[in-house]
Amino acid sequence: MNPHKDRQRAVHSGVERGSARRVGREAGSASEDEPSKKALEYSKFYGGKVGFAPRVPVRSLQDFSIWYTPGVAAVSRAIEADPGLSFEYTGRWNTIAIVTDGTRVLGLGNIGPEGALPVMEGKALIYNYLGGVNALPLPVRAKSADELVAVVKAMEPSLGGVNLEDIESPKCFDVLDRLREEMSIPVWHDDQQGTAGVTLAALFNALDVTGRELRGTRIVLYGAGAANVAAERLLARAGADPRDIIVVDSKGILHPERDDIDQLMLKNRWKYEIAIRTNGDRVKGDLKDALDGADVLVAAARQGPDAIRPDEVAVMNKRAIAFFLANPVPEMLPASARAAGVEVVATGRSDFPNQVNNSLLFPAIFRGALDVRAKTITDTMVIEAATELASFAREKGIGSEYILPTMVQWEVYPRVATKVGQAAVREGVARRRLSAKESMQAAMASIERSRKVMNALRDGGVIVDPPE
Amino acid sequence: MVIRHARKEDVDAISDLIVRTKRLNNEFDPLFAVTPDAKGRAEKYVQATLAAPGNLLLVALEGRKVVGVLRAEMRERIFYEPRNEGRVTDFYILPEHRRKALGDEMIQQAAAELKSMGAEIVVADVPAQNEIANRFYIKRGFRALINQFAKRP
Repeated sequence: MNPHKDRQRAVHSGVERGSARRVGREAGSASEDEPSKKALEYSKFYGGKVGFAPRVPVRSLQDFSIWYTPGVAAVSRAIEADPGLSFEYTGRWNTIAIVTDGTRVLGLGNIGPEGALPVMEGKALIYNYLGGVNALPLPVRAKSADELVAVVKAMEPSLGGVNLEDIESPKCFDVLDRLREEMSIPVWHDDQQGTAGVTLAALFNALDVTGRELRGTRIVLYGAGAANVAAERLLARAGADPRDIIVVDSKGILHPERDDIDQLMLKNRWKYEIAIRTNGDRVKGDLKDALDGADVLVAAARQGPDAIRPDEVAVMNKRAIAFFLANPVPEMLPASARAAGVEVVATGRSDFPNQVNNSLLFPAIFRGALDVRAKTITDTMVIEAATELASFAREKGIGSEYILPTMVQWEVYPRVATKVGQAAVREGVARRRLSAKESMQAAMASIERSRKVMNALRDGGVIVDPPE
Repeated sequence: MVIRHARKEDVDAISDLIVRTKRLNNEFDPLFAVTPDAKGRAEKYVQATLAAPGNLLLVALEGRKVVGVLRAEMRERIFYEPRNEGRVTDFYILPEHRRKALGDEMIQQAAAELKSMGAEIVVADVPAQNEIANRFYIKRGFRALINQFAKRP
């Protein structure tokens, strides 16, 4: 007996239209506490945000002789003979795990794997709804990088991909590098590649708006955690000159002669390498020294609103670009940045213009990668995704307050997925060589299926609206 | 890149690199905690090295900038054969000049000069936990000779 059945059910004619209206209203008027209050109430009401749904019909109990024993043994034997068939005969092709050790969850810090579970469930729901991906929320109890690597590798036979999430730095770099090296399915760390990818997309259009090219633009990355370490690499791959990038962390500008450089060599070799290859002019000092004459600031550092001062951004070049990505409170509020002379401002928040939001990217990245059975997600695939995301916004008409699509512009997801799939084919990492048209069809089919399932479950009263 | 004997005008730059060496050692063991006045001590140490015979102090320069230093001294092993030892006590290269064979050049030149000074063996002191240094020397034909154990009494 489902206790939720007794609740009043409201039938919506279209999920995405309803969502768009709700997002619009929340952006304008909801108090800061309201989502938290609702999240607690609704989480208890629903008892989890995602769950398994069958893909096959059960016409009678006789069907279990096909779906289970004895019939299933033939499928197992076929897969034993050719393990690649697990991508054809099971749901592996569309299944990923969202894995975390709970050591750096949102802005909450090390809250443990259980505490991370609601976040991973939320992410699984976004994967499902926007990307048609069957994502399993899987926080694990693994203390060291070695343990985490071992547990993720052990799950490979069941998965088409892995999304690492909310793992502390620098452990996250080591875990991602090793898993990408040692596994034959895509392993993605959204806090690195996802944030860096969507930042790149936003930057492409911000550069366009302010009349710049990536090559020759002076970029300051404030914060040297997961997002900006990946951003530095991706920017360089996309064409930026590393010598024009300056990375600033809590101890100041990274450069090869900083006092803690040997400590970085031993404890955070990613930052160590960045200190050597960036900052061609060997600028020393603090954030303001780095920003003097810079064109772009990407802050992924710490909670604001006063983490960056107006006098610090005021020394930037004319027509400056600044992204403040800390959530929920950006390092600096957009109005303050604009008053200090910044032309294009973006944040991680939906209630300000230009939301740099990973959710624009990760569902499409995995949709595209899974459809071609990719073995990995290369930086080229991420750059292709960022380029397509930027193109989509350009087609709608970009300006200083619109440099990225929003989540409700869902048509962007199959388009980005198609570019990702095609890049995988070109890079030789796809097991299935789909054409662009086939990639688009596959992406549309999965995404539309997820929406149909949601609509059917709501229309059928299986998923009821929450109590008022 | 030029490798040459250190001069008086190099003292300040060499002292900075010597302090960096000691700080690096501290990353491997708290018993290598660096004293607050390490820079001043390093300057005296370098000056004394330059003044005394039987010491070797090499610097690597990029242009006029000191980017690497190697200090060694001659010692007599009174109970053992071979008796004359050239001991590398300090060796440091700035990060952006690593992995370019500069370390190899410096240790080779030091070994050759120590040999000409009478050294029959060359030894090098590094913290036991410094795997990077351990690998560096093993790769160049050195082997571990003494384990030094330490504890607070």
